[in-house]
Amino acid sequence: MPLFEAVRLAIDSIWSHKLRSFLTLLGIVISVLALIAVVSIIQGVNRYVAVRVTNLGPGVYVLNKFGLVTNLKEWLKAQKRKNIWMEDYLVLKESLRLAKRVGAGILQFDAVKAGNQRLEEVLIRGVTANMLQIRKEQVQTGRYISPHDYDHRGYVCFIGQDVATKLFRNSPLDKTLTLRGQTFRVIGVAEPMGAVFGQPQDDFVHIPLTTGLKIYGVQKNSISIFVEALNPSMMERSQDEARLLLRARRHQKYGQEDDFGIISATAISGLWERLTGTIATVALGVAAVFLVVGGIVVMNIMLASVTERTQEIGVRKALGARRRDLMLQFLVEACVLSTSGGLIGVAAAAVMLKIVSLATPIPTLMSIPAVIVAVTISAIVGLFFGIYPANKAASLDPIAALRSE
Amino acid sequence: MESQTETRPNPDARRTGETGPVVIRTEDLWKTYVMEAGEIHSVRGVTVTIHQGEYVAIMGPSGSGKTTLMNLLGCLDTPTRGRYWLGGQLVSEMDEDELAIVRNRRIGFVFQTFNLLPRATALHNVELPLVYNGTPAEERHERALEVLRQVNLGDRTDHWPAQLSGGQRQRVAIARALANRPTILLADEPTGNLDSTTGREIMDLFDHLHDQGNTILLVTHAEAIAQRSQRIIHLLDGTVDRVEPGRARPPDRPGGG
Repeated sequence: MPLFEAVRLAIDSIWSHKLRSFLTLLGIVISVLALIAVVSIIQGVNRYVAVRVTNLGPGVYVLNKFGLVTNLKEWLKAQKRKNIWMEDYLVLKESLRLAKRVGAGILQFDAVKAGNQRLEEVLIRGVTANMLQIRKEQVQTGRYISPHDYDHRGYVCFIGQDVATKLFRNSPLDKTLTLRGQTFRVIGVAEPMGAVFGQPQDDFVHIPLTTGLKIYGVQKNSISIFVEALNPSMMERSQDEARLLLRARRHQKYGQEDDFGIISATAISGLWERLTGTIATVALGVAAVFLVVGGIVVMNIMLASVTERTQEIGVRKALGARRRDLMLQFLVEACVLSTSGGLIGVAAAAVMLKIVSLATPIPTLMSIPAVIVAVTISAIVGLFFGIYPANKAASLDPIAALRSE
Repeated sequence: MESQTETRPNPDARRTGETGPVVIRTEDLWKTYVMEAGEIHSVRGVTVTIHQGEYVAIMGPSGSGKTTLMNLLGCLDTPTRGRYWLGGQLVSEMDEDELAIVRNRRIGFVFQTFNLLPRATALHNVELPLVYNGTPAEERHERALEVLRQVNLGDRTDHWPAQLSGGQRQRVAIARALANRPTILLADEPTGNLDSTTGREIMDLFDHLHDQGNTILLVTHAEAIAQRSQRIIHLLDGTVDRVEPGRARPPDRPGGG
């Protein structure tokens, strides 16, 4: 019997038991759905993290006191490290040969007031003028902190979209706000950055680093040094150069661990991907279990189908169907059954990913490799679990089969 | 595969008028079932010869072994002992797959219970034997239409078995049996599930097919049905009890076509 005949037969047979076939397929549907959804969502989240969470462009990394701290022990250890000082920044800025730009910043959370409006826990960043190029903030109106503001410890600020709308009714440009009892003139407003994981990214105030150190205290603030490598491919060599220099300045011995941290978009993504990798492994395990359960259900339903169609099998044998013809017919039926489960799973995953992308900011593109793998595996499951029922059908004695009712 | 050429003159030839080559020949055919209670010999040493174009009935009471003999002649079962040639091939020595090919190419089954596939149209049912020998779809379609017209069902090709009367269903089954131009038509109580009028129509159809040159072997327990054949083989306790001529006239053509 030609293959396409077998496929046509299989579709007929499955279609004539729509509800039963669908229920049979739930296990496979769920497993394919889980597989595709998890892989696609994790990929989406990874991309999202890489692009959005760090706010660092490609080729940019940060040297700071803490680095990427993932647990309390590391944090307590990092707490004892020496601060990074302005001198370190200035030396690095002069000496780094593989860097296009070197900037610096400090970070504080503080309350901001304008008129009778007050915002708590606003992210205050003391910055160098080149941070506009190094980081991802963009000017919407007005201008960014200038070298002049930096040199003269100007009381000027560049504010995020949220701060602008919450503190000022009209254009905030040239209006003033109060920070740590000091009055700052607003010189620019940033483009909206949106939110990351529901955390708004627009409630920040940038002031000149020099002014920031003055109002928050030079001794209390460890500086973060932002380095943009000559180009993104020079990232690692540039990091090595900066690390070497900073270690030398801090008199670290050979073999001693860095007493500062380096953060880059790749480092954050890497950390994140280790975490999501664990989630993916668990999800794939669950999917595999569902797949096996689904396969056993398919086997059961095929066995029932063989029993139900004993007479048909007898007729086919009497009319000249060979063993291999019946093997083919029932294997193809099991395979088509489980593959359609896979395809339903793909459709369900598409719907689910659409919902995720509408409800969350995570970009969810269906992973094509995941789709191919899932559909292929569901077909293989059908083939594998179809062998026993198909063999049973092919081995029926034609006389007994014909006589059965 | 051993070829057997019939050289002996057929003793019945003059009486029944058939002169064609041998299509079925068995030699001391036995079928023995081993049960807990001991061995049961369903068929004990049956030797029969059927010529092309012949119309033969096998008769016998239940338990006489006629169904077992039918299954053996239909290549659905293999004999415990003895030899069986069908169309010159020694089928008693064949394996499962070879037998399937013989069933497909040489034998057209007509069952008492029709045994149509309920989820296939009349046309698809008739196409089924052609599917199993790889006949191309178009040719298959044409051949199925042709045999359906032959049994006067040219206007029912797209009907499902459930939409057809018993007689129509049996005619679809006969069309299916004819689809591969078999060496022999094997009919097992073909009127057993039909009322007498419809049964007569079906038997008329068999007469007609015989006139067209088909070789027919009919299994029945009804005397009136058996009498329509040219030759009646009476079975009793698994052996040929006696052979008598039926009332059928000899085929119109010498050699039976």
